[in-house]
Amino acid sequence: MGRIEFLNVYKRYPSGFEALRDLSVVFEEGSMTFLTGHSGAGKTTCLKLLLCLDNPTHGQILVNGVNVSRLSARRLPHYRQNLGAVFQDHKLLAARSVFDNVALPLRVSHMREREVRRRVSAALNRVGLLERESLPPMQLSTGEQQRVGIARAVVSRPKILLADEPTGNLDPELSQDIMALFQGFNEVGATVIVASHDRALIESLDNPVVELSHGMRVR
Amino acid sequence: MPDSPKQGPWPRTSHRWGWWRGHWRVARDALSFISRHTGTSLLVWLLVGIALALPASLMLLQTNLSRLGADWGGGRPSVSVYMELGALNAAELAAQLERRAEVQAVALTSQDEALAEFTAYTGLGDALTGLERNPLPASLRVTFAANAGADALEAVAASVRAAEGVADVVVERTWLERINAISRLASALGWVFGALFGVGAVLVTATTVRFAIDSQLDELKVMKLVGASEAQLRRPFLYFGALYGAGGGLVAAMLVSLGLIILEAPLLDLLGSFDQTLVLGGFDVAFVAALVGLGSALGMAGAVLAVRQRLAALDVM
Repeated sequence: MGRIEFLNVYKRYPSGFEALRDLSVVFEEGSMTFLTGHSGAGKTTCLKLLLCLDNPTHGQILVNGVNVSRLSARRLPHYRQNLGAVFQDHKLLAARSVFDNVALPLRVSHMREREVRRRVSAALNRVGLLERESLPPMQLSTGEQQRVGIARAVVSRPKILLADEPTGNLDPELSQDIMALFQGFNEVGATVIVASHDRALIESLDNPVVELSHGMRVR
Repeated sequence: MPDSPKQGPWPRTSHRWGWWRGHWRVARDALSFISRHTGTSLLVWLLVGIALALPASLMLLQTNLSRLGADWGGGRPSVSVYMELGALNAAELAAQLERRAEVQAVALTSQDEALAEFTAYTGLGDALTGLERNPLPASLRVTFAANAGADALEAVAASVRAAEGVADVVVERTWLERINAISRLASALGWVFGALFGVGAVLVTATTVRFAIDSQLDELKVMKLVGASEAQLRRPFLYFGALYGAGGGLVAAMLVSLGLIILEAPLLDLLGSFDQTLVLGGFDVAFVAALVGLGSALGMAGAVLAVRQRLAALDVM
């Protein structure tokens, strides 16, 4: 699993706003692609559609040939369990520890607690936060919180990793660190899509870029 | 190009005993949530308990009244037959009645015996000695078999009324009828209050679970993002509902028990004045289990109501 295709995708919201217009794009398996564009260009809508949090008004979104917007309610959780997602606002649970935040996807899939501990420790070690596993996320810096979000996204070893403005609140040095993590996951086979409007960051890396403007692909 | 796949290319991450492990985690978290919100939990248990206690008390009252009705006055209704003065067929009528299947016994009181009893009980025998003849009639007291219904009672009374030499027939069942009427009323009230307060219990639980959902919206959104199924999102709140309801059932059992302790002595005194005794029954393990089970079911119904309202429109991003 890892090839993603948007085929003539339109997304119109009830307000009449057209977030995507005839978008066709392919993200090859094992690639790491930047999705860029101005605010409101349609980047987040693309990720929402890929996460099946919304459906396209028209067109198809295929993941390894399967139209994911037609997945049954029963299959949808299994599909999402095979995706990793990172958000600008981290979406961490303030009342839970770093460990519990990262363990959430594994517990959702009913994994044994011993295996949960092993995998969470490995993921936290990878992002350099193993020693802070018992702290609540709000006691961490913004960059550390983002790394917790990344650890949670990769702990179930997804084949697709989606990131929505993952460096939005970070300084350039921390942004480079985060990107290095994504590149590391990409190198072990994950298809990575990073939605970002940080042109400097994108141009500093040698990855394919898909640029959107007013819901249409311009690059 | 496949359009609506039954199988996706992504593996289903299932683990041995995973379903049970998920339930265990949720049950543990639900108990932890309830213990952290002690004040709210006690209030909900009390409200649900009161809602269940009244209909449960009425049902218990109905059960005991039915038992009392079955045991009342030697157990069964009776008919008193008063003969005309000078009628000579009282013994013959008594023999005829005794042969009927629905009749258990017939006690004949002759005119002379009636006079003797009157004299003995009132001390006014001298007042009657001046009369030319005994003014008290012979009478029969007919007691019915346990399986004799109201129709049989009426049929016997009607046939006796038509018999020669019979002056009057009195069906003595007033108290029994009252007890049975009260029993039926208690049963009907039990159902009416049960329905009304049951809806109340559902609404109390639904409101509480809705607050619980609101306090965990962020967690629910993240769980949905990382692949939790609708059932997994619902499950903690169904546990909340069941625990709130079960706790309410236990509180109801305690309230009913307290009511029985308070009412038992005056009730037994009252029955004693009618030469009746009653061992209050119905409050046993099965009754408590039924209350807890019913409370649990109502709590879950409330939770389902709340979950349907709140989780349907869960906006994740």
